[in-house]
Amino acid sequence: MSAGPDLAPAVRAAPAGTVYRGRSGQWAFIGHRISGVLVFLFLLLHIVDVSLINIDPHLYDEVHELYGNVVLRLFEVGLLFALVFHALNGIRIVMVDLFPGAVRRERRLLAAVVFLTLATCIPGGYVILLPFIEGTLTG
Amino acid sequence: MRTTGPDARSRRPRPSFETWSWFFMRVSGLVLVFLALLHFAITHIVNDVVETDATFVAERWDNPLWRLFDWTLLALALLHGLNGLRWSIDDYVRSPARRTSVKAVVYTFSGVLFAYGTFSIVTYG
Ligand code: HEM
Repeated sequence: MSAGPDLAPAVRAAPAGTVYRGRSGQWAFIGHRISGVLVFLFLLLHIVDVSLINIDPHLYDEVHELYGNVVLRLFEVGLLFALVFHALNGIRIVMVDLFPGAVRRERRLLAAVVFLTLATCIPGGYVILLPFIEGTLTG
Repeated sequence: MRTTGPDARSRRPRPSFETWSWFFMRVSGLVLVFLALLHFAITHIVNDVVETDATFVAERWDNPLWRLFDWTLLALALLHGLNGLRWSIDDYVRSPARRTSVKAVVYTFSGVLFAYGTFSIVTYG
């Protein structure tokens, strides 16, 4: 990141106590953190619902059926976005660690992460919502 | 890490716990790319969620390799996520006393769920 002349007025204008607003790297950090914590919280819930199969397979089926309704399907699409963004951005982090020269292309790498996330998750989300779109939703 | 001088190697500090945790996040993350994305693809894209019922699980867990796959995913994702959460707690919970208690709750909860999940995968059937 270059401390270009454009930064100086903004820094001077910022009153004390204002939240730091960084550039692309700051957004990547926030996105990585939020997506990671969300997927982790889902993992905790998911351990409980899968383990129901050991208590009683019918109980598992009853609870599991809920994942088929629209609201939870939308949640699953969100999960897909979070997981794929986190995975691709994690790969970007590892790449920059291995090849420090890549820092110069930081913004372009992040753009690639966002582009690939959208390019895979929009079709993926469509597949998840397909039973709803086609009106064959059961649960 | 860049050091200078003839004895740079001998002055390099021994890797600490934090160095290992940094390294672990990279390695486990790269393994999780395959485990987590494949798992999601199987249960949400290739099959519809409603198809992954108790019969589906029974058939998959008939094969011990799928149990190994699922358990590795469980263990790596939990450890990776837990370490990430630990970093976040250190960032946001500033008072030492509260930090300790928040971590105690999070570690206990995750530990119990890890044991429970492992128990489910190992003893099923
Ligand atoms: C799918 C492949 C994944 C990759 C490539 C990956 C990669 C990474 C990397 C490299 C970091 C360290 C970031 C840093 O040092 O600044 C990280 C942090 C983290 N990851 Fe993952 N991860 C993956 C999956 C997961 C999963 C499944 C979870 C949840 C169970 C998760 C939760 C977290 C959390 C909570 C953090 C901490 C974020 C922070 O400190 O801001 N990750 N991940």
